[in-house]
Amino acid sequence: MSGTDALYDARIKSLAAQADAIGPVEQADCRHEADNFLCGDRVSVELALDGDGVKDMGGKVRGCLLVQAAAALIKQAAPGLSRQEMEGGIRQAQALMTSGTAATGTWEGLNAFTPVHGLKHRHDCVLLPFEALKGCLDQAKSRSD
Amino acid sequence: MSTLRDQFPSVVSGLAGTYLDNAAMTQIAGPVLSRMAVFETGGRSNVKRGIYPLAINATEAFDAARASVVRYLGATDTSGLIFTSNATAAINLVAHGVGAGLAAGDEIIIGEGEHHANIVPWQMLRDRQGVALKILPVDDAGYPMTDALDDLITPRTRLIAVTHASNVTGAVTDVHALVERAKGLVPDVRVLVDGAQMAPHGPLDVSALGCDFYVITGHKMFGPTGIGALWARTGVLDGMAPFMGGGEMIQRVTFDETLFAPPPHRFEAGTPPVTQAIGLGAAADFLYGQDWQEIRTQEQVLTSMLMERLAKHDRITVIGPGDNGRRLPILSFVVKGAHPHDLCELMGARNVALRGGHHCAQPLMDRLGVDATTRASLAIYTEQADINAFADALDHALGVLS
Repeated sequence: MSGTDALYDARIKSLAAQADAIGPVEQADCRHEADNFLCGDRVSVELALDGDGVKDMGGKVRGCLLVQAAAALIKQAAPGLSRQEMEGGIRQAQALMTSGTAATGTWEGLNAFTPVHGLKHRHDCVLLPFEALKGCLDQAKSRSD
Repeated sequence: MSTLRDQFPSVVSGLAGTYLDNAAMTQIAGPVLSRMAVFETGGRSNVKRGIYPLAINATEAFDAARASVVRYLGATDTSGLIFTSNATAAINLVAHGVGAGLAAGDEIIIGEGEHHANIVPWQMLRDRQGVALKILPVDDAGYPMTDALDDLITPRTRLIAVTHASNVTGAVTDVHALVERAKGLVPDVRVLVDGAQMAPHGPLDVSALGCDFYVITGHKMFGPTGIGALWARTGVLDGMAPFMGGGEMIQRVTFDETLFAPPPHRFEAGTPPVTQAIGLGAAADFLYGQDWQEIRTQEQVLTSMLMERLAKHDRITVIGPGDNGRRLPILSFVVKGAHPHDLCELMGARNVALRGGHHCAQPLMDRLGVDATTRASLAIYTEQADINAFADALDHALGVLS
């Protein structure tokens, strides 16, 4: 399997297949949409919160396999995490892309995206759902301040 | 015997790979490189200023380039040809120049299938001056629905801006029919045609098209980047306000006022991109000298082959004209369950250069009901082996993504 083919291994494809299940969240506390202006991919993230914790994550995903897989990973990890832990996930995703630093703990699943680290032109694909997540968390924070 | 393909160093060397992203940028032709190198290595001087031999020769080369482009466009009056940095800059120039004379309530009509370069400048004009922006719809294949002009156009319509050929679908607009219809309804209306995609596919005849403005860009015409041109019908530029001020575009300057130079210099403020203009002229000469009957036949054969290869896959739908009629060899398609970026990534790794995304035509994507497409665009150096390489890489990519 060539380097590029490795991007599309079973883990990524299996995650991406789960993106179909991402839909609107009932009574979302925050919602944010992020666009990749280069290709037109768009992800919206909605969160239902319970105090400091995330009850559920949803939204709408329009994007490539990497966008779908990253969004599905967030959907998988989010329930029960605190805002700080969600923000930690965003930082870990960014670190994995920019420096190849392996993710740990709750967000260990991010390591499925390790082959993307060497392909700078695809970093934005993985980070697009996290950008939407960050906007959503910022919105929730500003409302609670 | 030297072939057309041999004239493209990056193609012959194989460094460009299977290059099917020509709607974004073509490879540069050897004769273009040579002419620019001659200027840079032995003829470099500013133009329109010096009176020493080097400067005189540079000015002559620059003027000759303008004449070459004018000839390629099928025009004769060199004062109607303005060098710009690209087609986008040319459209912006018109949006400012024509726009300066418009008032709130005046109308601009743009095509639904336009590149963002032929949408955003008009939106900015709308927001600046309160003109109304109307949209000429396209049909399911991406062709502008010229009939709809009857309902859209009014005596307040000042300009219609349409593409000559879609950068997404390859659909070629019947510009002559559109102009005839528009001017039959409102004789004074100006028509601007975005020829960025059409120009690399053979000499043009702007007089026969009947339009008022025609814009082209060098990097899609086997020429250098950073150069394009706006052609305007004789007389159209006379009353038009300049876009940018500076040197070269004046007749006389005092602290009280500036008298502007006549066209085209009024619209070419500052030292022009001399080398690039010479390159564009060389590209125009190179293209003018080709056997276009043979090239068009070859383009049609290859486009048909490409469509046949795509038709083998049930998951694939071609977006745009489904036949080889009024179209360029630009072909967009979508694959059920495979995003264009994933396809382009996998095929790119096999040295097949394609473009995936919205192609700077998001309103057209909305109209055609797709988020993004994968696009293969052919050029005069494309050959059957390229189509085969495309088909093999596509099979591989679909296998990986299944």
